[in-house]
Amino acid sequence: MASAHKVGRTHPVPALATTYEGDDPALLERIVPLIDTIEISPDAIARSDAKQARLRPEILEEYQSVLPHVNLVAHGVGLSIGSFDHWDESYLRLLDGLFSRFDLDWHSEHLACTVVADENVGTMLPLPRTEEVLDLICERVQAIQKRYGVPFLLEHVIHLLPDMPGEFTPAGFLNALTSRTGCGLILDAYNLECDAHNQGLDICAFLDELDLAPVRELHLAGGVQHKGFYLDIHSQPTRDTTLAIGLDIIRRTPNLRVVTYEFLKEAVVLLGHDGICSELARIRQAIQQ
Amino acid sequence: MTQLERQQRGLLNLIKNRGLPPDDPYLRQVAGSRELTIVREIAVWWRAFQIEDQCYFTSRLLKRRECFDTIVTTYFNNNPTSPFIEELGRDFLNSLRDHDDCLIRAVSQFELALLQVRAGCTDCFEVHWDRHPDRVILALEEGSELPASETGCLYRMRIARDLPRLLVCTREYATQQE
Repeated sequence: MASAHKVGRTHPVPALATTYEGDDPALLERIVPLIDTIEISPDAIARSDAKQARLRPEILEEYQSVLPHVNLVAHGVGLSIGSFDHWDESYLRLLDGLFSRFDLDWHSEHLACTVVADENVGTMLPLPRTEEVLDLICERVQAIQKRYGVPFLLEHVIHLLPDMPGEFTPAGFLNALTSRTGCGLILDAYNLECDAHNQGLDICAFLDELDLAPVRELHLAGGVQHKGFYLDIHSQPTRDTTLAIGLDIIRRTPNLRVVTYEFLKEAVVLLGHDGICSELARIRQAIQQ
Repeated sequence: MTQLERQQRGLLNLIKNRGLPPDDPYLRQVAGSRELTIVREIAVWWRAFQIEDQCYFTSRLLKRRECFDTIVTTYFNNNPTSPFIEELGRDFLNSLRDHDDCLIRAVSQFELALLQVRAGCTDCFEVHWDRHPDRVILALEEGSELPASETGCLYRMRIARDLPRLLVCTREYATQQE
């Protein structure tokens, strides 16, 4: 059900996925008929007792209950693959637990740093686009690929702070990363829109330069504006402008498998079950055209 | 120290509003940027949101005292904060155990004890109140006026898993107010 299927066009129509972080069986029941894949964030379904994070078994049961109808992918937040000293091993233990329970099509993380010297930064820091960082990330990507044996994807994050000095363009850095490691990419249409608005990123030029063959997944989301900045707090329906960027990406990418509508668990109250379902139907319709 | 380490440690210090002004030209640029203010605000906003969710009564009391934002910001700046909401809530409440305001002390330690007991902790916790705890909790729940301190009176509350409804409270007439 989750695999992409041909509908008489150049590329297969991508499958539709969304976030589900548990504790809302009524929502799960509503969304499952509308989607092909659920995106699981291991960090978001874990509880930490005595400084040890564990996946919550009751949420794993929720996923188990819908397995005949959907596929699963993992999308982490806390690996901190770009920390100068080491990644967060506790995230990998959560991922181990998820892999031991389910067959995941792939897993992914943010190309970012969330922990510095064992201290949570409180935000996602983008990485400097330097050879030093490229070497560091490539080594870690290869270790992860070896550990799990399924495709590993990285997602670019929004840039709020001024960029650190670097030797690569944004697309050039991702091209070097994918060509050296064979890892896949997630493109986030809303993150690109944020970077265009906040930092002046030229999205067309970025996409023209980027090798799009490794892109397997596209993220769509709606965020908030604060003091003139676009923020990646996923709490809204996808704006028309974001969807247009997403559709352009779909047209350009030959190997795209999944389009994921992301929203925070905390935003379910704002969006409402009806709102989430409408959004999924809207995206499904858009990506099928 | 590599360039990456210098930059990441520097950004952590800037976001947490710590340390001396940076020497590094890039970090100096960040320090003077409007974007840094936004990043700090978002980071603190998330912690505040999570603390409100986990520490319901304490958050309400701190807002009544008009010190919630300041205390959360100070806590974020001066402490490592767990990405796990339960851990963040517990650590935050624990940080209030020596607060100057005895009501903030009592409410936060009461809430911390309840969180721990409900999570399976088998310890017995004791919290001292200078006014009737039920009336305090009701006032926080309803948004009504907080009861005044009862001079010479001590409410000794014990919280443990094996107690009926998890807690017992006795009133004592103390010779010395806590």
